[in-house]
Amino acid sequence: MSIGTLALELLLMPLVAFVVGLAMVLMLRRIGARIQRRVGPPLLQPLYDVVKLYGKQTQISHGIVHDIGIVMAVGGYIAAETLLPVPGMDGIAAKGGLITLVYVLMVPMLGLALGVGQCANPNGSIGISRALTAMLAYDIPFVIVVFGISWHYGTTDLTRIIALQQAAGPAGWGAAEMPLLAIAGLIALHASLGKQPFEIYVAPAEIATGPMVEMGGKYLGGLFVMQCFQLYTASVLYTTLFLGGGENWILFLLKIFAVVAIPMTLAYLFPRYRTEDLVRLLWKWPVLIGLVGLALVMR
Amino acid sequence: MTALDNLLLLALLTVLLLLAGRRLSSLGWYLTILFGAQFAGLLMMGALGYGAPPVPSSLHIGVMGQVMQWRFDALSWLFALITVGAGLTSSWYLAGDWGRHYRQRGGNLWLLQLALAVNVFSMLLLLASGDLLSLFIGWELVSWSAFLLMALNGADAMRAALRYITYAMAGAMAMMAGLGLVLHTAGSLQYADLAAAVPTLSSPQLWGLILLFGMGFGVKMGLLPLHLWQARAYSETPGPGASFLGAVSTRMGLWGLILVLVQLVGLVPIADLAIPYTFLDARELLMWVAALTIILPTYTALRQNDARMLLAWHGIGQGGYMLLGVLMGDAMGSAGGLMHAFNYATYQAPLFMAVYAVRYRTGTSDLNRLGGLVTRMPLSFLVMLVGIIGLAGLPPMNGFVSKWLIYRGLINDGQPLLFIAAVVGTFGTILSVYKLIHNTFLGQLRLEHVEVREAPWSMTVPMLLLSAVVFVTGYLPGLVLDWVAAAQQAVGLPVLVHTLGGVESPLGSLDMIWVSSLMFAGFGIGALLFYAGGNRSKAVHQLDNYAGGHFLSADVRYQYSDHFYAGLMRHIGPLYRNSFQWLEGALGTTVETLGAAMRAFYRQHHPAIYLLAVTTAGLIWVIL
Amino acid sequence: MKELDVRIETPEQRPRSNPLARVFDELVRFCRSRSMFMLHYCTGCGAIELPPAMTSRFDMERLGIQPMVTPRQADILLITGYVSIKTLKRVILTYEQMSAPKYVIGICSCTVNGGMYWQSYATAKRLDQYLPVDLYIAGCMPRPEAVITGMRELMAKIRDGRADSWQDYYRRYDWYLGNQQHLFGDDWQTPTDVIGEAEHYRLTGPETLGEHTALLQQHQKPLEPLKLQL
Repeated sequence: MSIGTLALELLLMPLVAFVVGLAMVLMLRRIGARIQRRVGPPLLQPLYDVVKLYGKQTQISHGIVHDIGIVMAVGGYIAAETLLPVPGMDGIAAKGGLITLVYVLMVPMLGLALGVGQCANPNGSIGISRALTAMLAYDIPFVIVVFGISWHYGTTDLTRIIALQQAAGPAGWGAAEMPLLAIAGLIALHASLGKQPFEIYVAPAEIATGPMVEMGGKYLGGLFVMQCFQLYTASVLYTTLFLGGGENWILFLLKIFAVVAIPMTLAYLFPRYRTEDLVRLLWKWPVLIGLVGLALVMR
Repeated sequence: MTALDNLLLLALLTVLLLLAGRRLSSLGWYLTILFGAQFAGLLMMGALGYGAPPVPSSLHIGVMGQVMQWRFDALSWLFALITVGAGLTSSWYLAGDWGRHYRQRGGNLWLLQLALAVNVFSMLLLLASGDLLSLFIGWELVSWSAFLLMALNGADAMRAALRYITYAMAGAMAMMAGLGLVLHTAGSLQYADLAAAVPTLSSPQLWGLILLFGMGFGVKMGLLPLHLWQARAYSETPGPGASFLGAVSTRMGLWGLILVLVQLVGLVPIADLAIPYTFLDARELLMWVAALTIILPTYTALRQNDARMLLAWHGIGQGGYMLLGVLMGDAMGSAGGLMHAFNYATYQAPLFMAVYAVRYRTGTSDLNRLGGLVTRMPLSFLVMLVGIIGLAGLPPMNGFVSKWLIYRGLINDGQPLLFIAAVVGTFGTILSVYKLIHNTFLGQLRLEHVEVREAPWSMTVPMLLLSAVVFVTGYLPGLVLDWVAAAQQAVGLPVLVHTLGGVESPLGSLDMIWVSSLMFAGFGIGALLFYAGGNRSKAVHQLDNYAGGHFLSADVRYQYSDHFYAGLMRHIGPLYRNSFQWLEGALGTTVETLGAAMRAFYRQHHPAIYLLAVTTAGLIWVIL
Repeated sequence: MKELDVRIETPEQRPRSNPLARVFDELVRFCRSRSMFMLHYCTGCGAIELPPAMTSRFDMERLGIQPMVTPRQADILLITGYVSIKTLKRVILTYEQMSAPKYVIGICSCTVNGGMYWQSYATAKRLDQYLPVDLYIAGCMPRPEAVITGMRELMAKIRDGRADSWQDYYRRYDWYLGNQQHLFGDDWQTPTDVIGEAEHYRLTGPETLGEHTALLQQHQKPLEPLKLQL
């Protein structure tokens, strides 16, 4: 591959991720609205929100770490997108692989945590403490999934995982071969998105949206952008591991939107868990299902 | 005179100069320069790190038919590099203002410096040992010199140090018994003879060997259940001493385990020792011990409220990763384990230094009495940030590379539960280090810390230097992997095929040059979006803050620090049962009771008769 | 006390070199009008009319209006009822913490003239003496339709660039502060450094500083941000 193509891919991948992520945000707000029998926001609402927030006249900063936190949160995701293969573009997926991606995805979280820390608002700190607790909870089933996938396909290289699945056709997709792991992964994915009933770290009525408490203007705008990336990344990763990646863009988009739609449809039906209940739930059911699935994979 | 002779002589000279130069005014700087010279001496043997044959010492001593000799191979060289590097930066750290401050507060600076020099010398001697006898002597020297360093800082430190030395003596006894076993079975204490005798050993003998040496070295390493002494002892050691001990002292145990279990006994015979009625063999048992050593201390660290204790507990936990990696015995896992020893030293030392820099300026390392210091001590914040990213094992720092290799090794090995255990340890670390940096540097600045300034340059420069190492070896892990590969070769492990950026393999590659570069490119774009998009921001006072409409004032704390993971603790809190504390207490009480009983027996009931009986029995045994 | 000056000053015309500046401004104004995050300070009974406006019956979200939690995130401050003096302090603090452009909507008669609390000694009668109010939605209480109509009016104002009363707060801060001091006493101080902000964003006008700000600066606890010190 020439350097020019690679550079183009590295630029396009985050851009595509952002645009698709905006559409996903719209979808999830629409799903929420429909379930509550509302009309929901117009088509470009997520874009309006982001432009408006960046277009604020006064921007309030709590110091340089606050700024850097937002930079890291957005920049970390931009980097992570280049590790996620999409149809026709592999970026540097072969140089990182699954484990690297999982850990690169923690860097934006860390950036956000640092930025929130400097805001000197206890609501934000509580939010981060809860977010990290939630991470500890949902990442355990998730690493079981990661192990099962790596063991099953014999590699952590995402491009190879996709190639193996596509060669075998839908019957050879991860979800067909490892259904229990796919279920565990879906629950972990749902929790990782931080939506109801797992939105303990936002909890507007309790801790005033936690990490977002002191974020306004382009700071909040950065977090909106980050949310777009987050939805996109989680769904593409799940599609890559269990649904054979994308044969072409149409199928790919169908799959990733479906992956977000399933947990979001469930999300608006439930109230929020308490922190310890969330930990208990995620350490019990998905872990149990995942371990059984893992045993079946490794037998 | 070989290069090794020069190095050991230089280390000895350092100790002697310190003994003689008590009155010298800037002794700290001389010590730093001498450590620098030792470092240079080590670099003279740099070829060892690239696969050169071992460097022997010209010194040989014959004792009771045993020849004691010393040599350096690639493994020793790697660990010596860590040792002298930690010694150099620690002595640099204490050479300037920290040392003056320590003396003004009544500390014996000279003794601290001397202890540092003695520690480095004894560790080098240990690493150079060429047979089991010199190993044992080096081991004892290391144990006692560490005691010297730990016991400096008042009554609490003395208590912790005494606890340490009790454990260390138990370990030494175990090792001595192991030595007896080796002498009995192999007929000599030479490494080669032991290695040759291993295939002939019966399995109880092999078990004995593993357990005895495992206990001997495991005490130093803080392997479960022998870890209780460590956190308290390290955190009570004065600043640079703590960073030195934390970075490297524990790793001597790892070195010993690698030497005995991997190099001499070999992992194959260990893996052949099945444990009856279980699915485990001896190697897997040790791996599970390592995994528990990761998890339990890490989650104990999560509950600490003193930054030093938190770091010291993590030190124990990180040791588990190294042992786990090495015991895997494949190229990736063992490279990860060895590399982690190096990486860990490079971030643990600056982390301790940053904590002590904060302590130097504010007088406390209590995580509930700090906060918001980032505006006052930005360099220390940067050092701690780099350090915690390394400790948590996140890219782009070096801790990620070694942990990646360990994870990859566990997947190759097909060890799902151990893999989960390792990752659970990492998550615990992320939680706990965020608490560390948040409670120290982020959040609300306390009223009494408004006037605090950055630590002086003599302290920040070594910290920054080590942080740079953390970053550079994370960006170009191939630099360290060269040395690791040489060490793997030296101990007979499969050698990792690597590139400058990491590993290339069909099982999954890692190229840190690409990953890190793209991360920074991503940050660059993020910065562009942030700074170019939107109006420029205005910084506000920390009291201009959302509090549900409440008017904040400086005298009321608005900070979340205590019981940081309350929700999690409500779930896992009941699991903290202090079982090991209880076990230690029970053991202590048993020994005390037995001792009292014996004393009573001996003192109060006709001692003469017992004496007579023992003498008669002895006589009969001699005559027959 | 001076009478309320209803004249809205035109924003300072800075030279714009970018040929697309007008288009860009237009776009931002449009997005502002279509994305309004509101902070409802539910001071009185008007709050009860907001849930129906937000939920399935009237669904504000289709207009891009969402509730938000903290002042930092919000664009609109909804005051839904009478403001007692004690509440007014919090309302002002909250308003100052919002980032501009920010809009205040007074709902119910109480915010217009005190309503049924007109005779109360503890209630501020006219909200626009203390904060620049963009829009009143009168009624006791106004129904959700009225609230939504008001919101639409505000949207039109924002799109046309007429909703700039937030600038008035910076430009005539002295006057607003004077009214606040008259009510709360001379030692009144909020945590937000309004004058510093006005200077930072070049929003100062001839009446930003005056006798009242001088009084404030006499007793003000310093609110400089904590600078990074090397």
